[in-house]
Amino acid sequence: MTADRNILETIGNISTIPTLPTVIDRITRLLQNPKTSAEEIGKAITTDQALASKVLKLVNSAFYGFPGRINTITHAIVILGFSTVKNIVLTASIFDAFRTKGNSFAGFNLEQFWLHSIACGAASQAIAKFIGSSEKEECFIAGLVHDVGKIILCQYLPEQFKSIIHQTRQKQSLFYQSEKELFDITHQEIGGYLAERWNLPPNLQNAIMYHHIPMPSRENYLTTAIVHCADIFVRALDYGNGGDEKIPLMSDNVWKNLGLDTLSIPSLFEGIHDEIEKATVFIQIT
Amino acid sequence: MKKLSVENVLEGMILAREVCGTSGNILLIKGTQLNPALGRRLKNWGIPFVYIEGEEESMTQESAPSISPEDLKKHLMTKFSDVINNPLMKQIFAAVFQFRLQKMGK
Repeated sequence: MTADRNILETIGNISTIPTLPTVIDRITRLLQNPKTSAEEIGKAITTDQALASKVLKLVNSAFYGFPGRINTITHAIVILGFSTVKNIVLTASIFDAFRTKGNSFAGFNLEQFWLHSIACGAASQAIAKFIGSSEKEECFIAGLVHDVGKIILCQYLPEQFKSIIHQTRQKQSLFYQSEKELFDITHQEIGGYLAERWNLPPNLQNAIMYHHIPMPSRENYLTTAIVHCADIFVRALDYGNGGDEKIPLMSDNVWKNLGLDTLSIPSLFEGIHDEIEKATVFIQIT
Repeated sequence: MKKLSVENVLEGMILAREVCGTSGNILLIKGTQLNPALGRRLKNWGIPFVYIEGEEESMTQESAPSISPEDLKKHLMTKFSDVINNPLMKQIFAAVFQFRLQKMGK
């Protein structure tokens, strides 16, 4: 059994672990200055042409619901605001970072994995909307990246990944249960480590780290709670597959703190279904 | 059949389901050939989506398994098997099953 420190060290030493594009850093710094104009941000994003065109594709999709045609990044910022465009850039970058070759590995279907991730993002956004949270977009990204640790395992620690998949299948358990048993470290911790290296905002880091064990006392609990809930719902609704066939237990504190009850489930599910439909466009940029 | 925002209606698309107004009156019948101008009119009437003929590309259609209610129940029971004794999960199971039946049109 490999101690968890070894796995994190191994990941830390892999020089080919993707980094987020420098444009993210630049945008974050520009945004810290209240005098930054839409044009300056637009210019910064446009330095990465591939990224800019992905952003425009997303911006013009039903997901963002803007009825006109947006042709420039600057226009996107003026219409949608700095925050939304920054989140779009972040989303597109994360997909870029993990563009995967081939569709499956060790019986793990990568397309189904991305479907699960996108669905979880959309569901998180729907839940945030449902409970009246103002952090819908952050919740989308949190849901989208909550399982990024699994992709790290798959791409950089394939032997370990294979044995986790094998055990999960054999024992019909949850992915993280096999991880814990075999290696005493989970995709939540690996993903959280990456999120920290990428300087992702704390609420994203926490959502990745704690989406299976949300605790009200931790910071940014609401985002984590929403992702925890979204993950369970999208598994139950069979949107994609994250590497296992079972459903985790819904945390009682999440259920209470989100103010959910079984009577509200049908309309919540409708909302989730609609958001996931709109988010189909993200599959085109994976 | 594909669900589409009225803003994305293109020349040649065919309505797969009739479009009704808020009082239930039929505005456009199934089989109507659409075009962008009609799409704009629908928007003015307050209709956000239409259903058009053609291959469904959305994730939601792809992910909906076309199975019988009994098989769906079995499938969900397997998924929930480790947690079904928990009262909350039991309720969630029931709600999920109902929702999915409804989506399957059963």
